[in-house]
Amino acid sequence: MKKITVVVRNLPLNTRRNAEALRMSVGLTLREDKVTVIFMDDGVYTATPARPEIIGFQPPKKEFEVLSMLKCSLLADVLSLGKRGITTLLPDVKAVNREDIVKPITESDIVIPF
Amino acid sequence: MKLGILLTTSPENENTNTVIAISTAARKAGHEVSIFLMYDGVYNVNKKDFAELVDKGVNIAVCALNVEQRKVGRVEGILFGSQYDHACIAADVDRFISFG
Amino acid sequence: MQDLVKKMATELDLKGEVCPYTFVKTKLKLEELESGEELVVTFDHAPAVENVPRSLKNEGHKIMGIEQKGDHLWKVRIRKA
Repeated sequence: MKKITVVVRNLPLNTRRNAEALRMSVGLTLREDKVTVIFMDDGVYTATPARPEIIGFQPPKKEFEVLSMLKCSLLADVLSLGKRGITTLLPDVKAVNREDIVKPITESDIVIPF
Repeated sequence: MKLGILLTTSPENENTNTVIAISTAARKAGHEVSIFLMYDGVYNVNKKDFAELVDKGVNIAVCALNVEQRKVGRVEGILFGSQYDHACIAADVDRFISFG
Repeated sequence: MQDLVKKMATELDLKGEVCPYTFVKTKLKLEELESGEELVVTFDHAPAVENVPRSLKNEGHKIMGIEQKGDHLWKVRIRKA
């Protein structure tokens, strides 16, 4: 079993990239590898209870539901959250310090910045 | 050695030429190379130099959902697969590089 | 006997689902079954009909049949490994 970490760093609106990063993360569990998703920099907005459907953009609701169901670790960088004044996260996303962001990265066999 | 590559950008991005160069060199050195294309990366199947990697013995698989969304046609020798194929590449390779 | 097995197959409706959720949900359902039991999955996403059976075969399961039921509707019968 490998450890795989996916790092989501960019703004989630006007692009499907972040939703695709999450869909890919679901896919990466299919060979029993352990997948962790890290949200940092502007990527933390992806893990907030925003309502992009108001501007006609599909939120990655299903991707989060399945990642939670598959018990993947979903980590948001506290420093990135603080800089942006974000205080609320989606259920199952855990706000963690940099040390806890570095840990899964250094322990992973594969790191995919997306 | 088995090398896995993920490419998520379209052929206009310089990533494409890097992936072609690395894959070609790795094959010349006798390594196995498997590439997975998803998101805008699926457009690379239409780039001649990229698709020719198949003739050099590179395994290429694409995400069929992204292909369908972008109306990209099938190309012989390239597997119109799924995220499961990506999981297999990630699970089976010795080294994995991501280009996004 | 074959008819009896067919009657006993578990059904899973995956209409509206795309990759990789089609495979994830099929796999989770198969985990609930015993070896040798059958699962019939309904798909309406064409790439899934091609890719899910191929991936399941790779995992050691047996594909007993793929039946097209409409323009965009397929039933795939799987026997758990």
